[in-house]
Amino acid sequence: MGWLRAPAGGPLDYHRRWWLRAYVGLVFLLLYAPIVTLVVFSFNDSKRNIVWRGFTTKYYWKAWNNDSLFEAFTNSLMIAGVSTAISTVIGTMVAMLLWRFRFPLKSAYEGLVALPIVVPEICMGVAMLAFFSRVTGFPTDWPWPFNLSAITAAHIAFSFPFVAVVVRARLIGFNRELEEASRDLGASEWQTFWNVIFPYMRPGVVAGALLAFTLSLDDFVVTFFTSGPDTLTFPVKVYSMVRFSVTPEVNAASTVLIAITIALTVLAMRLQSPARVG
Amino acid sequence: MKHRKSPMMTSRRSFLAGTGAVAAGITLAPHKSFSAEDKVINFYNWDTYIGETTLDDFAAATGIEAKMDLFADNDELFAKLREGNPGFDVIVPSNDYVERMAVADMLSPLDHDKIPNIANIEPVFMEAAFDPGRKFSLPYMWGTIGIGYRAGAVDGVPDSWKWLYDSDKYSGRIALLGDASTVMGLALKYLGYSYNTVDPAEIKQAEELIIAQKPHIKLFADDNGQDLLASGEVNLAQEWNGDILQVQEEDEDIAYIVPKEGAVIWQDCLCIPAGAPHPQNAHAFIDYLLDAEAGAAIADFIQYATPNGAAKKLMSEEYLSNPAIFPTEEVIAKLEPEIYRGEEVTKLFDEAWTRINAV
Amino acid sequence: MDHWRDHKLAFWVFAIPGTAWLVVFFLAPLAIVWALSFGENISITQTRVTGTLENYGRALLTPVYLQVIWKSVWLSALATAGCLLIAYPVAFLISFVGARWKMILLAAIILPFWINLLIRTYALIAVFRTRGFVNFGLEWVYETLFLDRLFGPFQPLELLYNNFAVGAGLIYVFMPFMVLPLYASIERLDKSLLEASLDLGAGQFTTFWRVTVPLTMPGIVSGIILVFIPMLGSFLIPDLLGGTNAQMIGNVIERQFKSANDYPFGAALSFLLMYATFAALALRAYAAGRRSAAQV
Repeated sequence: MGWLRAPAGGPLDYHRRWWLRAYVGLVFLLLYAPIVTLVVFSFNDSKRNIVWRGFTTKYYWKAWNNDSLFEAFTNSLMIAGVSTAISTVIGTMVAMLLWRFRFPLKSAYEGLVALPIVVPEICMGVAMLAFFSRVTGFPTDWPWPFNLSAITAAHIAFSFPFVAVVVRARLIGFNRELEEASRDLGASEWQTFWNVIFPYMRPGVVAGALLAFTLSLDDFVVTFFTSGPDTLTFPVKVYSMVRFSVTPEVNAASTVLIAITIALTVLAMRLQSPARVG
Repeated sequence: MKHRKSPMMTSRRSFLAGTGAVAAGITLAPHKSFSAEDKVINFYNWDTYIGETTLDDFAAATGIEAKMDLFADNDELFAKLREGNPGFDVIVPSNDYVERMAVADMLSPLDHDKIPNIANIEPVFMEAAFDPGRKFSLPYMWGTIGIGYRAGAVDGVPDSWKWLYDSDKYSGRIALLGDASTVMGLALKYLGYSYNTVDPAEIKQAEELIIAQKPHIKLFADDNGQDLLASGEVNLAQEWNGDILQVQEEDEDIAYIVPKEGAVIWQDCLCIPAGAPHPQNAHAFIDYLLDAEAGAAIADFIQYATPNGAAKKLMSEEYLSNPAIFPTEEVIAKLEPEIYRGEEVTKLFDEAWTRINAV
Repeated sequence: MDHWRDHKLAFWVFAIPGTAWLVVFFLAPLAIVWALSFGENISITQTRVTGTLENYGRALLTPVYLQVIWKSVWLSALATAGCLLIAYPVAFLISFVGARWKMILLAAIILPFWINLLIRTYALIAVFRTRGFVNFGLEWVYETLFLDRLFGPFQPLELLYNNFAVGAGLIYVFMPFMVLPLYASIERLDKSLLEASLDLGAGQFTTFWRVTVPLTMPGIVSGIILVFIPMLGSFLIPDLLGGTNAQMIGNVIERQFKSANDYPFGAALSFLLMYATFAALALRAYAAGRRSAAQV
């Protein structure tokens, strides 16, 4: 990792080039301009996000006291959390399967795994509706959070292929001699995986998990078609709310959601960083 | 998948735990018997379409907990129930969808004896072409679709669909709605035909009218016509009266008119979908929504026109005399409700709409 | 690469969870819809699978649908290219900064996407509309430079409700799906190869084109796949940001499952899209296979 600490202006210190920084800065500016607008307008003393009419926090109180918004919030975070955990594990395993083994009909299998990425959302939503209502008869009256299991199962189905694709792209460059060296030095398969392969693929796993979380948290179509009564999620709530117009209440709720996710991310990073240095 | 059964035989709710329970590693308590209904009801509604405390008040009055889920438009509601009722007890479809769902056996008939507050409904609303004898539905709210406009930016009052469908005067400052049947139905109205025509030649003519007007239309706005108007993006927007009413509160320059050619009148109705798990509670809930005081609280909060005569007596003069909420008799005479015209006509409209959007 | 027979236990351990989940919660549901694409509507809510090819025929023989599909393809292709051009430098920079900044920047890329798509799109509208902040900013610059005295009053740019807005919206929405795979593959790039290339006298530009890009090709390809394919089927962005001719095939498909209530036709259109994607992916795999075979 010595190259990271090379003297300023070295040939590989791309991150010190002003033009690259400026370009990336511009991208971030464009990415965040709408978000900043959204946060600012959540404090706007007007029912609509059109003109500034003075500062207020009343929409936060309104959002706080809006039970169904609150419920939708918890449901969404619950679904996204479970779905991310499971799809990260499954997706990573599929990536390793495809990376490590030769087996008959492999390209067909790869195609199948990529299928959830290919299917138009609405088509998948309808498929889930048909499936859960006529094939399995998933019960809808379980106690929370198990009433969300149909939605979660569907989310995992469309998330883990994304994880698999990303992790596999990362694994392609792995030097298998490292694995052999580890085994030659007496490490078991499991130790080799944990100490050699996993640290290598970790950036891919993290990226995949982030994608899975994003996909689940923001999914409207599949969730809508999979949900039973009393399983309101945040996107479904938002879709019906903005039907009447985008109120600062929606903005306030989103701002809170951003704040919560930032807090969780920072926490996760704190917990993760001092441990296990690959 | 041990417990897989044919869904045709039993209702969905009676299925016992399948894969999920095993996967989650939990044991379920034995299924409750359904001899007496649980004290809950699942209400499937539009957002912001009920009083702020109505559900709590209902629970206080009857001990039944009302849980509300939300849909964003009739198509969503229909799609959700198409493959079988996932467990909703009361739903709120609009007039044409009441008919469509009734034809498709998706609604269960109402027992009028269990809803004494029917007496509160104005007699005129007890007759409905889309549901003769009010067998499946009772009226909840009603309104119109007309033109919302920025008074300061248009000449006089745009009291004709011409300004939206057949003129370049406000080129690039026009927003039409985003669904085939409304946009084309109102074009038909402008052309002097019935909103509910099934004549392919007339429908074709409406299609051509819209295609010719396309260069002057800014966009087909699904649901944010009122926001486009408020932000100055357009000066004329085809919209629901209630949506325009909401922006009027903050911007007095915005007005609403039902054009002289007439427009469409809609009615959202309370229905019990087939296979509702708590039909007794559902009747009690509908009865409660039609109560005078509860109805007035709802109308006061959502500011749509209520068909509840007893509730209207409790409402403010400001609400009752607002022409954007209650149009005059003269205007009402020119309004037409949308009728369900069968799947073939639906398909015809969809194909026309695809062509309109593709050119 | 190992042959699966040599490590049967490991093979099945890796294979079973993903495959089982895919079969039960994805392929089985999808099979229902696939069957529907060969069906006919017999009532408002019922469809009978008769094995008819009429739905596919209608999709392929009606010019308007082909026209819409073609439009979706080129718009998505342009947006994917735009996405790649914007995302590559970002991913590149992220993989060259220190570990701490790496996490922060990655989180910063992904964070906007934890805001609901609809809310984000409406926020985008607020920024880009005729009376939005971009136009306000431009107007301020215009008037500060006294250009209004030269060229007359400021004319706000029409940034929304056209195909450009749809393309920009698609890029905005799918950015992280491009950045993350690119990052994962640039990050694992062996930097000594770049040093070697530079030491051997290749310029930065040559090194980038001849070393960096080929070595990060797996990331580029997975990024393109993750972005292009979902773009093809998107319907919300054209709906909200497009003008009167913004319709993409996703919109047509969505209508079949909603207002048009024609499930067989919607299913046929969806599967046509999937068949096409598969053909493209297979072609790519075939080409890649030949290339690596030629090299051996």
